Amino acid sequence: MARHRTFLLALLPLSFMALLLALPLGRTLAEGGVNLSIWRDPYFVGRLGWTLGQALGTAAAALAVGGPLAYLLSRWEVPGRAAFLRFLLLPFVTPTLVAVLGLTALLGPQGWITRLLGLDLSDGPGLLLLGNLFFNLPVMIRLAHAGFARVPPNLIGAARSLGAPGWKAAWTVALPLALPGLTAGFILVFLYSALSFGLPLTLGGERYSTLEVEIYTLTAYQLRLPEASALIVGQLLLTGAATWAYTALTRGGAGVGAGRGLPPAPRHIRVILWALMGGVSLICFAPLLAVVARSVLTSGGPSLGAWQTVLGSAETWALVGNTLRFGVLALIGAVLLGGLHALAAWRARGPASRVLDGLSLLPLMVSPVSLAVGYLLAYPALSATLPMLIGAYTLLGMPLVTRSLLPALRALPPRTLEAARTLGAGSWTVWRTVTLPLTLPALRGGAALALATVLGEFGATLVLTRPEWATLSTGLYDRLGRPGERNLTEACALATLLLVLAVLAFTLLDGGEGEVT
Amino acid sequence: MRGKVSSPMWPSFRVPCTSRKTPPFLTRRGFFMQTMQALIIAGLLLGSAASAQTTLTVISHDSFEVDKALVAAFEKANATRVRFVKGGDAGELLNRLILTRRAPLADVVYGLDNSLLPRARAAGVLDAYRSPALKAVPDAYRMDEANGTTLLNTVDSGFVALNYDRAWFQKTGLALPKTLDDLKTPAYAKLTVVPSPATSSPGLAFLLASVNHYGEAGAWNWWRTARAGGMKVTRGWSDAYYKEFSRNGGKFPIVLSYASSPAAEVFYAEGFNPAKLPEQSPTGNLFLPGSTFLQLEGVGVLKGARQPALARKFVDFMLSGGVQADIPTRMWIYPAVAGTALNPVFKFAQQPAPTAVKPVLLANPQRLIDGWVTNVLRR
Repeated sequence: MARHRTFLLALLPLSFMALLLALPLGRTLAEGGVNLSIWRDPYFVGRLGWTLGQALGTAAAALAVGGPLAYLLSRWEVPGRAAFLRFLLLPFVTPTLVAVLGLTALLGPQGWITRLLGLDLSDGPGLLLLGNLFFNLPVMIRLAHAGFARVPPNLIGAARSLGAPGWKAAWTVALPLALPGLTAGFILVFLYSALSFGLPLTLGGERYSTLEVEIYTLTAYQLRLPEASALIVGQLLLTGAATWAYTALTRGGAGVGAGRGLPPAPRHIRVILWALMGGVSLICFAPLLAVVARSVLTSGGPSLGAWQTVLGSAETWALVGNTLRFGVLALIGAVLLGGLHALAAWRARGPASRVLDGLSLLPLMVSPVSLAVGYLLAYPALSATLPMLIGAYTLLGMPLVTRSLLPALRALPPRTLEAARTLGAGSWTVWRTVTLPLTLPALRGGAALALATVLGEFGATLVLTRPEWATLSTGLYDRLGRPGERNLTEACALATLLLVLAVLAFTLLDGGEGEVT
Repeated sequence: MRGKVSSPMWPSFRVPCTSRKTPPFLTRRGFFMQTMQALIIAGLLLGSAASAQTTLTVISHDSFEVDKALVAAFEKANATRVRFVKGGDAGELLNRLILTRRAPLADVVYGLDNSLLPRARAAGVLDAYRSPALKAVPDAYRMDEANGTTLLNTVDSGFVALNYDRAWFQKTGLALPKTLDDLKTPAYAKLTVVPSPATSSPGLAFLLASVNHYGEAGAWNWWRTARAGGMKVTRGWSDAYYKEFSRNGGKFPIVLSYASSPAAEVFYAEGFNPAKLPEQSPTGNLFLPGSTFLQLEGVGVLKGARQPALARKFVDFMLSGGVQADIPTRMWIYPAVAGTALNPVFKFAQQPAPTAVKPVLLANPQRLIDGWVTNVLRR
């Protein structure tokens, strides 16, 4: 009976993924067959090597910076901590091109930092790696923070009272206990960087393009589907292996929930914390501030002209309206389907649970470029319809809700649930009075992340769009497709609006403590 | 004019393996899929049963824009609704049309150009229709077929051309290059950025122009020398223009764009006032012999269109006086119909003398792209 119900729970999200993911992908692979001989070309083997290398490098750098910072943040309270954790969500919402604009404003050939230091990163892979960190450091920090927050503080206290110095307690007690969380963060950053597309497309040039960029070139420009399919299959094997390792590591998620009060940091810890937070802010927030600055700085000096146009035009408010409308619709879908998926994976036992767990990551593993082709081939009559658009956005948001909710469900103390039942509560009452309140923070955090992903998505990558569906991100891409300084400043103003909208949404949805694992 | 994050390429057309056997499980799922699709469509139709009006679907590249009032007048005159779909940039657009040619996405397409026409023809995505309004388009700008029919009716034209940053050259006092041979020397090559021929339409246009000028072997040599001398190749037009061009924070004062871009720079400058035009544009055209390419953009009826009669009317509409006068400052192109009045800001854009490109080059641009990738990019 229980098994039956678990199956019913999983049915909806799984059929959704079958329709919007498995089928279109299969259709793409079947259209031209798979021409594996492309893997004999040293050029593509080289691309694979670079894809792996830059992803590993990013993950290692993120761990080196994010790990210690997350540990200290999980132990001590410093002024600015909560705001810092909340703003860490901003890079999620940032469309790639906005990040690129911000990074080049700082570090491009005429960038503000470049002129200050006389260091030009624009010819090597440096900017690409910094861009990767911009998007992924927050993932690492939030995941590691969640991992460390589950380490019972009295264990560390015991080590300290037995004479271990702070660093030793961290190294021998906290680290082993938080290791699954740290490794999971490493693998997730690896996965995101290995599949990242927009960043290497714009910052990598011809020399540092990744597999996903090559898949895009072969599909969208050259229509060489058999060759593209061979790369897709290779990439799937790679991401599949990483996902498998990831689910194995995050399975045991028991521990103390977050939210307890933290002691204020002693002075030397505060200095280290602020230094680390400053460094991370430089990578994650400075590019965003640069974009805001670019919206008012023109070659002829500061000007609010772009803002006057943007705020005064009806088009802008249509863009904001569409962004909110699509965001909310997709959010409802993602919370519903991702939530059901998490419940099913939590209730299932044994291998079924792990399989469901792994399946929830599928939307992050599959190349969006190949999905876009699959949608055209499988559902030509539905292309450029609203259900298709919302469906695709929902697919993007789902895994974030599941990843957020599942650990919280698994951390529910089984005895509390049993006690409630013993006291005569029906399963609905248990759900309403115990399960939901205890997991609500995680659900809200996941919803905030899902909304962020959808808000920042460049509409045209997955589905065909219509002019009346233009969102803030398509509006700014349109402007960057035309020459003229005003287009650049207006694009930066629209990007600023998008960021403001995102901050508002996060504040409403999530207290800044949302966790994804 | 169009440029977009990256612009298109057109590979030798391959039939997406109709002869290959589809695995049986996929056909069965195909059936399931079609049923699902039919159900969803039925739902949508029920929802919109109230509006039993005809709908004309127009697919275009992302840069397409036209006055809404003109479209409303067209809708009223023909008792129809017009639904616009954006198909990516021109090259992506054609690939999408080819992928879906058995179930066309739209009735009419705008935005395919003369470098894409050969592939569109070979793939059979267009139906012949020649608008009566084409009479007003000069001969040199028409895209007629050898047998006298027309697949694409020219709506507008534009030149792909090198632009330079006036302030940069004034400040350094360096003389402008005069020929492509000057440009390939390190002194100028290290000042130049171009989008890749393999992933952008202006890049391909520039490749076609250079092969037309130097011949294949000569062109590979030119590109190799220029790249060795420091010429940067980016993926798309936006990267080159907004990231690498010195006017927008990059370090290259020569960029491949369009001959109309200097006019757009004036139009979109801070504090633009049509009554008080500046002396000159912040950027200028650099018409080196053999560096420009005339792009012709057209509109045509898609094969399998559900509303062929309306689609033809839309083709005529695109060549009508109102649209021709409206689109130049929206897409930064020149109207095809002779005698259309232009916004005065276009005086900042010059048009070079068109160089005829050998038809054999246009017949199979993908062969040249492959050649460029092998001989220049990955050498």
